[in-house]
Amino acid sequence: MTTYIIRRLLLMIPTLLGMTFMLFAVVRFAPGLTTGGGQFSAGIMQSRQAQKQEQEIMERRLHLVDKNGHPISLVMQYILWLKSTCEGHLGTSIVYQEPVLTLIEQRLPVTLTINAIAMAVIYLVSIPGGLITALNQGRLIDRGYGFLSLALYSLPVIWLGSTVLGFLANPQYFNWFPSAGLHSTNTGNMTFFRYIADYLYHIVLPIVCSVYGGFAFLSKQIRGSILENLQQDYVRTARAKGLPESTVLMRHVFRNSLLNLITLTGMSLPGLLSGSVIIEQIFSINGMGRLAYTSTLARDLPVIQDLALVGSVLTLLSYLAVDICYHLADPRVTYG
Amino acid sequence: MADLTIPAIDEPLLYAPRPYWGWVAARLFRPLLVRMCTAYLAVLVLIALFVPLLANGQPYTCVVPAAAGHAAVRQYPLFRDLSSIDWILLVVGAALAAQGIVIFTSRRLARPERMMLRRISFAIIAGITIIAGSLIAALHHNRLDATNYRSFARHGLITHAIFPPVPWGYAEMEPLSKGLINQLPSHRHWLGTDGDGRDELSRLLWGARIAMGVGFVSQIIALALGIIVGALTGYFGGVFDIVGMRLVEMVESIPTFFLILTFVAIYGRHILDIMVIIGVTGWTGYARLLRAEFFRIRNLDYVLAAQGSGMPLWRVLFKHMLPNGVTPVLVSAGFGMAGAVTIEASLSYLGVGVQPPTASWGSMLNSAGNPATVFRWWQALGPGMLIFITVLAFNLIAESLRDAIDPTTMGRR
Repeated sequence: MTTYIIRRLLLMIPTLLGMTFMLFAVVRFAPGLTTGGGQFSAGIMQSRQAQKQEQEIMERRLHLVDKNGHPISLVMQYILWLKSTCEGHLGTSIVYQEPVLTLIEQRLPVTLTINAIAMAVIYLVSIPGGLITALNQGRLIDRGYGFLSLALYSLPVIWLGSTVLGFLANPQYFNWFPSAGLHSTNTGNMTFFRYIADYLYHIVLPIVCSVYGGFAFLSKQIRGSILENLQQDYVRTARAKGLPESTVLMRHVFRNSLLNLITLTGMSLPGLLSGSVIIEQIFSINGMGRLAYTSTLARDLPVIQDLALVGSVLTLLSYLAVDICYHLADPRVTYG
Repeated sequence: MADLTIPAIDEPLLYAPRPYWGWVAARLFRPLLVRMCTAYLAVLVLIALFVPLLANGQPYTCVVPAAAGHAAVRQYPLFRDLSSIDWILLVVGAALAAQGIVIFTSRRLARPERMMLRRISFAIIAGITIIAGSLIAALHHNRLDATNYRSFARHGLITHAIFPPVPWGYAEMEPLSKGLINQLPSHRHWLGTDGDGRDELSRLLWGARIAMGVGFVSQIIALALGIIVGALTGYFGGVFDIVGMRLVEMVESIPTFFLILTFVAIYGRHILDIMVIIGVTGWTGYARLLRAEFFRIRNLDYVLAAQGSGMPLWRVLFKHMLPNGVTPVLVSAGFGMAGAVTIEASLSYLGVGVQPPTASWGSMLNSAGNPATVFRWWQALGPGMLIFITVLAFNLIAESLRDAIDPTTMGRR
């Protein structure tokens, strides 16, 4: 097990290096970056002196020149950037004038909480859905569920999200739900349970919009793995020794099928982070996705670069966690 | 030396062998729903190619009546003002139609003649298309004509004008003084107008071009990248495999939308940029699938035979191995098309996609108003439905193709 984890970590190193180099290069060669471009004080007429100073700051920040003003080679630039990143010095936002790390620290919990709740809801629907469709393979309920979940998967969240918001959180029609944010303004004098209730009330619509597309894929996978497990020898053995069908299904087939879920859970993390961009923008939630979006509009490159970096490190870590969990859950799996 | 000649088969075959793709197509198109989806997408592609002839503010033809200085002149304003992209797409559309006619009329011929005819006609039509396309791209000058032909026709300045079915361009605004913004459907504007007084129906039709264009071009880029990386890693294994898979992992590890936003922020939002960006961020799945298939195929007898007969590598890879390993990739490409349409619409909805006044379904959704205050749901209905149905059609066809090539469902359905 330990050797496996070590080998796995070693394999992650080239991926990490390549990914960071890709992000570094994409931003490093962005047109108009090295000139400073008045990014600190856009639109304000500056003296030549100030412009020069600004460019020097920018160049030093990007590790384009060393202390004496001599240019640095590209590989050295990358190594210096990587070194400062590994030491925890992510970039500084041009718009907020704050370290990106602070911005991410504020927003990551928001996004992760919403995604965790959304995942739970998706599983609560998909697992029974997959089980029922697998047991009724080819019947009307199977096909109907398959079609319905595919249709939901195809429903664009930009349309459903804005329509739901437009009808249910709009004084023009039904003002049932709050239209923005995660908390009411008077959270200060709320009791704990009141606070939680307020939070849940605020996330109803965002959660609905982030879950409905997830049923199709997950139910299909669960259905497939249940059908596959039903063909296995151990099922015949269990039936032959006279176990009731429900026991065969729940204790043998179902439990084995759940193993696949571990993989799927880890794999779905990048998708959830991606999806949060649109949901958070529609429902005005200050999370990672909205930060990525607003920085894209403002061309706040350090923030975008570091968000992609943090997102992909999270993804790689979740892949690793998946492999280890899979190993722990299923002792048959060996990585020879 | 043993006799290696294959004994001739005397007895006739008991069944007519059917080529694999014909068999797949027969199974794919059996359900009515799949046929409907294919027809819908075909119509959408035709609209995308021919939309300047369907929704345009200029008449196909009109006559400027005789006046003091000159005799009556017949003019063709619409054709005169088509951009080079419009012309190229029209040529492509005509070529597709010509090839379709050849395929349709030759369907009763015997197989060898049929295939020969199709190949020859394909070569001719493709040649003409490429030559015409490059000529247009090199020689054509786009020009801008802001004449209000509808008003001219009303006031008798032009006569015998024949307008397209939807007589509005995608960027044509009603004059502000008329107050015709955010109109409900009327006789003048069949689906109403948007916040800038532009015709909704015309913009919906023009939006099909953006959606289809982004879908096809981005997925062609993604397929090309994925097939090259997947084929090389799967065929050679070893170092190729390790390097290629690390490359796939690198791209995959970054959440797609974050990666796309990074590229969009840096490299701009021209429609071609969006196509390329969606393409270069979406190829990893194809590479993985094809790699797995090539691992399976590379030790089969026919591949060894192809290698042994001294064929060049590209021929072994792409002529012999690829057709036998490409079906899972095609299934995935169907879902990929749906994904690309969604991503483009989402980017345009967020305002970082195609730039105004280009009509995109996503930006039309966005212009339906801020949902929290003023929400004009009827403006969101059209683009929303079109995105939904298009994405659903691609997904349904992809899923049906997956079932059609799945050997475990052979007996059923």
